[in-house]
Amino acid sequence: MGEWQQLLQSILLGLIFSYLLAKLISIVVSFKDDNLSITRARTAGSDQNRPESDSKDELPGGDLGAALEVDSVIAEHGSVRNESVHASDVDDDDDWEGVESTELDEMFSAATAFVAAAAADRLSQKVSTDVQLQLYGLYKIATEGPCSTPQPSALKMTARAKWQAWQKLGAMPPEEAMQKYIDIVTELYPSWVGGMTTKNKGGDDDALGVDSKGPMGPVFSTFVYEEDSGNDFKMDAIHGFAREGEEDNLLKAIENGVSVHLKDSEGRTPLHWAVDRGHIKMIELLVSKNADINAKDNEGQTPLHYAAVCEREAIAEYLVKQNADTSVKDNDGNTPCGLCDSNWPWMQWSSK
Amino acid sequence: MVDSNASSGSPEETPNPNPDGNAPSESDVTLDALARKVQESLSLGQKHKFWETQPVGQFKDLGNSSLPEGPIEDPTPLSEVKQEPYNLPNPYEWITCDINSEEMITEVYNLLTNNYVEDDENMFRFNYSKEFLRWALHPPGYFRSWHIGVRVKTSKKLVAFITGVPARIRVRDNVVNMAEINFLCVHKKLRSKRLAPVMIKEVTRRVHLENIWQAAYTAGVILPTPVSTCQYWHRSLNPKKLIDVGFSRLGARMTMSRTIKLYKLPESTVTPGFRKMELHDVPAVTRLLRNYLSQFIVAPDFDENDVEHWLLPKENVVDSYLVESPETHDITDFCSFYTLPSSILGNQNYSTLKAAYSYYNVSTKTPLLQLMNDALTVAKKNDYDVFNALDVMHNESFLKELKFGPGDGKLHYYLYNYRIRNELKPSELGLVLL
Repeated sequence: MGEWQQLLQSILLGLIFSYLLAKLISIVVSFKDDNLSITRARTAGSDQNRPESDSKDELPGGDLGAALEVDSVIAEHGSVRNESVHASDVDDDDDWEGVESTELDEMFSAATAFVAAAAADRLSQKVSTDVQLQLYGLYKIATEGPCSTPQPSALKMTARAKWQAWQKLGAMPPEEAMQKYIDIVTELYPSWVGGMTTKNKGGDDDALGVDSKGPMGPVFSTFVYEEDSGNDFKMDAIHGFAREGEEDNLLKAIENGVSVHLKDSEGRTPLHWAVDRGHIKMIELLVSKNADINAKDNEGQTPLHYAAVCEREAIAEYLVKQNADTSVKDNDGNTPCGLCDSNWPWMQWSSK
Repeated sequence: MVDSNASSGSPEETPNPNPDGNAPSESDVTLDALARKVQESLSLGQKHKFWETQPVGQFKDLGNSSLPEGPIEDPTPLSEVKQEPYNLPNPYEWITCDINSEEMITEVYNLLTNNYVEDDENMFRFNYSKEFLRWALHPPGYFRSWHIGVRVKTSKKLVAFITGVPARIRVRDNVVNMAEINFLCVHKKLRSKRLAPVMIKEVTRRVHLENIWQAAYTAGVILPTPVSTCQYWHRSLNPKKLIDVGFSRLGARMTMSRTIKLYKLPESTVTPGFRKMELHDVPAVTRLLRNYLSQFIVAPDFDENDVEHWLLPKENVVDSYLVESPETHDITDFCSFYTLPSSILGNQNYSTLKAAYSYYNVSTKTPLLQLMNDALTVAKKNDYDVFNALDVMHNESFLKELKFGPGDGKLHYYLYNYRIRNELKPSELGLVLL
């Protein structure tokens, strides 16, 4: 008896399921038909050419009702886009969209593609239907402009909800809609932009870079930032504060008993670091805390040597006024003055 | 679905298909991977769109050894080349730019200075000087019709630019008449107007009208299909300024003082007989250079006129030095660089970055390392901030040793309507485009 009931139940469930699925597909298909022509006319410029994919593949196959409907809204995003791009491919030779577009366009396209992909790969945290509808409305505004299609019948619940989401945004400018769309996606998936920018740095073929790199021509390259390879170098927090000019933190460290004479593994004091990076206020602070103005690092260089090498004139002058030794030689026998390319009369004068 | 683009799908990036297994961190990772993948397919797809219609090596033909090297399409009779310009959107019109006119070159200069190539982070923008543009656009046998502008009909404002110059480029044993395409620039406000492709088509048409059917060009993006992919390297000459303006960064554990010492150069050059190239050196330099370039698979075929134009020093445009043996007075070695400053965007202390770009270097007697160190020394003496070089020709042999660091810029070389069977290593390439 129990088994009989179970069997009946599962048959019933199966029937309900297939009905829902069929219904869903029909909604999506009819929706696409309704809007294909408009989309096609309006997507120029903002649309990236994505590989065509069968929209049915994106429909979640065996999830439960509510989630299924939510996902379908996103999935449909993808399918509408794909179809429209596919259609415009057939356009004549003079249709060049996608080769150039603004950063916002590209960002928006990437965001929509990401949302579609997220839905297809079922990575979507269960985002509320409201947000999905909101995204949908913004998407339609961005790609097609204000809603001008007639309201779907009350029986088509999903279609109607979507229509309302679009319609209520009125005549919002497409740029604003794109921006809002991107903002929402960024809020939902904070990491998606991160993924993009990481890619940006490493890659040479990213669409976002197209704006500055252009479709053709030379390239502006800057240094790749390389972390110092792990050697035995050691420094303490106080050196870091001096290097970054963080006076409050440095004061706290001193109050907590850290010595201003503390040396890092290269023999540099906080004063060396502050001079190296050119933080004059930090230098004054360290001097007022009795930092050794003539401290030598492992190469025998004093803060004044650093100031001379880095051509920090104001700092060198200050150090000299604080009675820094201008004639002290480092391990290579160089005086600060000897290391300095510029001509600082006050330094030479006092070194004689 | 993103995977359906075969050329971009990388198996290791397949996102976790199991929704229950998504720990937060793990799902972040997959989201990143997904974002990257979408990005890749977007950019690949985007490129296909224009370039699939063009006679260039296509990605799908990669590794297909049955296709012959050489022209992809045969020349058509000149009478069949489209005689009238391509259509522009209605508000715009074509012009041919007379680079000799001071007024015109100023307009071109302003367009490029405000709208040309920037770095990824929009901190720098190329600032080709007027003298440089005149030099780059007026080589022997140039065609005025290949200097193409687009302006607004009503305001006459110049809003886009593209150029070609003729060059004989040798590919293996064949010397081919080509156009070098460069300076494609569209005003920032018009980037969504889709002007670039029609400009490329228009310059192609005008090149065809001169009975030339091949072209060489570079890009920072991957298009179908690179002949070679090179990397930029940078040698700091003025490290403090480069760090201040954000061109390079100072590691947390590195001192400015040590960095400055690291990049110090001698006060003067060390090679006996090292001097600036002069007009009477043209025949000797031509011989030296032709001989040297013959070892590369793709290289320019320079005659004396070309050498005089491209390599005779021009102040703030191109510098060339050579080694004249003190005993025999033979010209044994040669090095050169061109001057390409950039605007520094949004820095209070500096407005211009002065960069030298390695051009053609030949060493037969002086070690290349020493020759290039002398080149760095004169560049430093002349107040350049940085010396840049691609890893083309034999450059790789001195880059690391002379303290060049890798750049974030890749430069892809392309040939139009000429198929090369296998992608070349940078060291097989003997061509530098400006």
